[in-house]
Amino acid sequence: MADATLDATVGHVDPNDTSSLQTMELTVNGQTHTLTLEPNVVLLDALRERLNLTGAKKGCDHGQCGACTVLIDGRAMNSCLLLAALAEGQEITTIEGLADEDGTLHPIQQAFLEHDAYQCGYCTAGQMMMATSILNDKDIAKDPASIKEAMSGNICRCGAYKNILDAVQSAHRTIEGA
Amino acid sequence: MSETLNTQKPRIDGALKLSGGADYTADINLDGQLYGYPVGSAIASGELEGLELEEALGMPGVVDIFHHDNFDSTLKHSPNSFAEKNTVSEPRLPFEDTTIHYHGQYIALVVADTFEHARAAAQNVKGKYRANDQVTSQLDELDADNVAGLPGVLQEGDGQSRGEADAAYENAEVTLDHHYSIATETHAAMELHASTATWSGDHLTVYESTQGVVFQRHALSHVFSMPPEQINVISHFIGSGFGGKLFMWPHAIMTAVASRRLKRPVKTVVPRQSVFTSAGSRPRSMQRVRLGARADGTLTSIRHDGSNETAFVGMHNDTVISATPSMYACENVAVTNRVGEVNHGMPCPMRAPGEAPGLFALETAMDELAWQLEMDPVELRKKNFAERDPASDLPWSSNHLIECWDNAAKRFGWENRTAEIGAMREGDEIIGYGMASQSWEAMRLQCSARVTFLADGRLQVSCGTQDIGTGTYTIVAQTASELSGVPIEDIDVRLGDSSLPSGPLSGGSFATATVLPAVKAALDAATQALIDKVTQDGQAFSDVDSESIELNDRALTYGDRSIPVTTLLEELGIGQVTAEASAEPGDEKNDYSFRSFGAVFVEVRWDPGISRLKVERIVSTIDIGRAINPMTARNQVEGGLVMGLGMALFEQTEYDKSGYLYNANLADYIVPVHADIPPIDVELLDYPDYHLNAFGARGVGEIGLTGIAAAISNAVYHATGKRIRDLPISIERLLMAN
Amino acid sequence: MQSFELIRPESVKDAIGAQSERSAYIGGGTTLVDLMKLGVMQPDHVVDTNRLGLDEIEVLDDGRLKIGARVSNSRLATDARVERDYPVLSQALLSGASTGLRNMATTAGNVMQRTRCPYFRDPAKPCNKREPGTGCSAMDGINRNHAVLGTSEHCIATHPSDMCVAMAAIGATVVVEGRKGTREIPFEDFHLLPGDHPEREHDLRSDELITHVVLDAPLEGAVSTYLKLRDRASYEFALASCAAIVTLEGTKVTAARIALGGVATKPWRAVDAEAALVGEDATAKMFEQVALLAFQRAIPLEHNAFKVELGQQAIARALRDAVQQASQGEHQ
Repeated sequence: MADATLDATVGHVDPNDTSSLQTMELTVNGQTHTLTLEPNVVLLDALRERLNLTGAKKGCDHGQCGACTVLIDGRAMNSCLLLAALAEGQEITTIEGLADEDGTLHPIQQAFLEHDAYQCGYCTAGQMMMATSILNDKDIAKDPASIKEAMSGNICRCGAYKNILDAVQSAHRTIEGA
Repeated sequence: MSETLNTQKPRIDGALKLSGGADYTADINLDGQLYGYPVGSAIASGELEGLELEEALGMPGVVDIFHHDNFDSTLKHSPNSFAEKNTVSEPRLPFEDTTIHYHGQYIALVVADTFEHARAAAQNVKGKYRANDQVTSQLDELDADNVAGLPGVLQEGDGQSRGEADAAYENAEVTLDHHYSIATETHAAMELHASTATWSGDHLTVYESTQGVVFQRHALSHVFSMPPEQINVISHFIGSGFGGKLFMWPHAIMTAVASRRLKRPVKTVVPRQSVFTSAGSRPRSMQRVRLGARADGTLTSIRHDGSNETAFVGMHNDTVISATPSMYACENVAVTNRVGEVNHGMPCPMRAPGEAPGLFALETAMDELAWQLEMDPVELRKKNFAERDPASDLPWSSNHLIECWDNAAKRFGWENRTAEIGAMREGDEIIGYGMASQSWEAMRLQCSARVTFLADGRLQVSCGTQDIGTGTYTIVAQTASELSGVPIEDIDVRLGDSSLPSGPLSGGSFATATVLPAVKAALDAATQALIDKVTQDGQAFSDVDSESIELNDRALTYGDRSIPVTTLLEELGIGQVTAEASAEPGDEKNDYSFRSFGAVFVEVRWDPGISRLKVERIVSTIDIGRAINPMTARNQVEGGLVMGLGMALFEQTEYDKSGYLYNANLADYIVPVHADIPPIDVELLDYPDYHLNAFGARGVGEIGLTGIAAAISNAVYHATGKRIRDLPISIERLLMAN
Repeated sequence: MQSFELIRPESVKDAIGAQSERSAYIGGGTTLVDLMKLGVMQPDHVVDTNRLGLDEIEVLDDGRLKIGARVSNSRLATDARVERDYPVLSQALLSGASTGLRNMATTAGNVMQRTRCPYFRDPAKPCNKREPGTGCSAMDGINRNHAVLGTSEHCIATHPSDMCVAMAAIGATVVVEGRKGTREIPFEDFHLLPGDHPEREHDLRSDELITHVVLDAPLEGAVSTYLKLRDRASYEFALASCAAIVTLEGTKVTAARIALGGVATKPWRAVDAEAALVGEDATAKMFEQVALLAFQRAIPLEHNAFKVELGQQAIARALRDAVQQASQGEHQ
């Protein structure tokens, strides 16, 4: 049983082929994509270079900036450090999937627009995905200091932090009031 | 001007940025594209004797590796002229020779079918080096008494010196003489530099993360000996640059060469480490400030000697003394700046170049003088307010610095300050107040734009400038809407494409003052083109003197007659009317001096028991002329203040003794994060500067970053009694200082 | 990042069977993927632990808390039992990394976290930890972030974890499973001092897998705090940190656990300071005195000398803050 399990989960590995391609199914924004990738492809590059979902950004590639933040089963994670293969079977949500299907902006997007919570816009998807995760997380308090602490893994070099905080608080009020 | 200008408008590109739809350079994926991945030198000084390539060349997906021995020998240097708009950052061509001048200097570009293959192969390209024993890792301290003793080139202050500064200093009742230094900083824009090149016959298209599509087009035309018309540079969205993307870097040339050789599009996203080593920095600067004053605080002498490091591969004068001659009324001023070479990557302008480092030194020195004189620092500055620009002896176009000082002091509650050091306490914390003046020169350049009336009622405005996050798309739309009556949502703004009419760099806070007059000129020209058509025989206004017709609220009007532009286009049976026009500054620079000013006040909290310093709040009042969009303008100032907080407390690009760039990543190069951000109160005064342009706007990108570091250092002194003259004000500096 | 084979076993036994000299386990990947991208770790086989279960937190009969290897840092930090019985651990976890990384990072992965020394993280630079015998670049290079305690002439790299500092103070056991069976390793013995072999970082054999970390039963009536000092307010490794756990009888200290981060080559128990504190009055002056003891054998270098004083400050303040909770508790 043990050996059989191993073989089954490895996929088709040709011992002579170091590239060891694997076929996997990634569910992104509710849609399932079948991809054949080498194991060393991280989710961020799979999204951007294979699926052309370029909303998640590469700012450091090492978990040091937060621009690549996406939701995995609703929780924010740094997609640059997540092997794509390990995301199989989980619900991946990117910025492209945040708004309603009819185009109605998510409250966090609407708040970012109204509060000018960005400048260049490059970290913005990551900021909004993190904010979405935080607002859904019962373990994170929603006072300004707690939000700032919880958002600190998302660097905004333009320094639009004040407006981002205002937007997150505003979105929180909208969501709570709804 | 009322409804659309000087009004808070959400960004017109907001929906794209908030949905992931904005196409930044690295987001563009072309059919058949290959991936470039650069390899940087492991040493900082020496010779590259060879490369181990065999293993990498045999790895999966590798198409080719470019390096010194196989690179394009037909490339030429760009003349590197700002006036001719072909400036490059690093004058040396990539792989030009085998001399290593700095850690991270590109020694190869691996090109492969996927990003992962390119990266894996790049890790297996190894350089064989002959390292020099001598590495110039950093310049020694500025030799204060003998500036001529320093290596490098002495830059005298552009004739900005006046009077007899040394003699006045000797005779001054009160004097002060201090040295200041600021660590190398890196722009660290969130977007990695990126370039995608694709050739179609002899036409080159480059998607680039750049603050200057026109500059890069011209530079590429020299490098590749091609007419500019055969080159197009596109940068629709830029993940900001802060100066680091003003001018072309070698990765763009490497990528274009690879694409030409391989006959496929090549996309190179520069890894973060290489962005640090090989795509610019604000160079380390050392400054000496000598002030002479009368006992009543009147400045009698200012001597400001600066120096900055540059690279062996190119000269960058960071002009840290640039603001000094204009800041205060003082009869005797002398400024110099000296530049010396080190084994670092090429420095370049970084947000508020000159002013940000220079005003740290000058405004800290002013605070020190206030303490010596036992004067209130605000009063000392007021005492020396310059009624005209003392450097040029021209009147200011508009100067409300006194109101900035007063308003900011009031908003801050400066009157609650207890002057005594360390006297204000709360729990474990000692409270410090500090302030400084802020300033940035206002500039305007030549610019062209195109405006097109479309049959469906929409208006298209095009200009070969960029929006790096400052809000250029939006203020162009606001301006066109204001002038034409077309609602802002019906205006299409096209930027970031060098095939559009030539526009300015997005830098230096001059884009707004430069672009908006061109938009107006182009709209006027397009309106005139329409009028010319509708005043011809048989047309709607054939009976009217064309000069009497006006564009009002989307219609041409003459007396009571008003016909919508869409109707006119339909009657004319044409889909559109378009015109291009240019605008340039006149001779107003001969009549006025243009400068923005501001005042910034800071409260810090110092917990000596755990050596913890934090900025508690920031208040800034800024006079930037008119803000076209106060929402995006205020955001700019706030962003500058945040970057200044980083400059003051955290940021330093560190090179070890071997010239190795130690912290080339965003975990070890410390920038402010959410948790560092205190309440920030920015007030924008609203005094339109119509001498500079018809919109009264002077630009806003830089000024927030000036003065703030000094205000923080001054507040630190007030709290701790420790005068830290070296940035960043790190924990160890606070711990070790007496 | 070089190519590798990804193995996804569904039992601990299979995971151990798949392990070899050239393989690495992956949990959240926040260390491994980072270091693979840098070329610092280049395993031929990556063995995924995400299908192994090991994600439970349970209280054992003897009052200890057994934490599955795969429990994420976020979940551990916000677990009600951890918040109640081990607040110092919760605080330490929440002071580390970022929300996104904590959602990914696992308990075992954090135990196995590797140093942030930039010279270690660059394969182009000599480093005894990465390539034994090549030398230490940090010794004469920039060593601001490096250790002053537990160093050797071969390595001064700091252990980066916050979680481990809290666990060192609490007391814990690392449970590992290998081909020869299960072993329980006391937490203080798990991480190794660099000595002559900085490449050996822990007492884990190549076939062994961490399955659990078991925390000692909480000290009755203890007060505690985790204090982390760094340049910016968040999202940065510690320059100095202290986990302090104290029990009091009246004003006298009856037990003390002091562990340090950011200043040492492994999660560091300040045993001399602890011993000196027990039986003494809990005063600020006493805290400062014992803090000095903790750094008696510190070896500062060119750029990190300030960590001696900063570390002492961290101890004194952490003890004070912990004890203040006790006095506030009395007043309630």
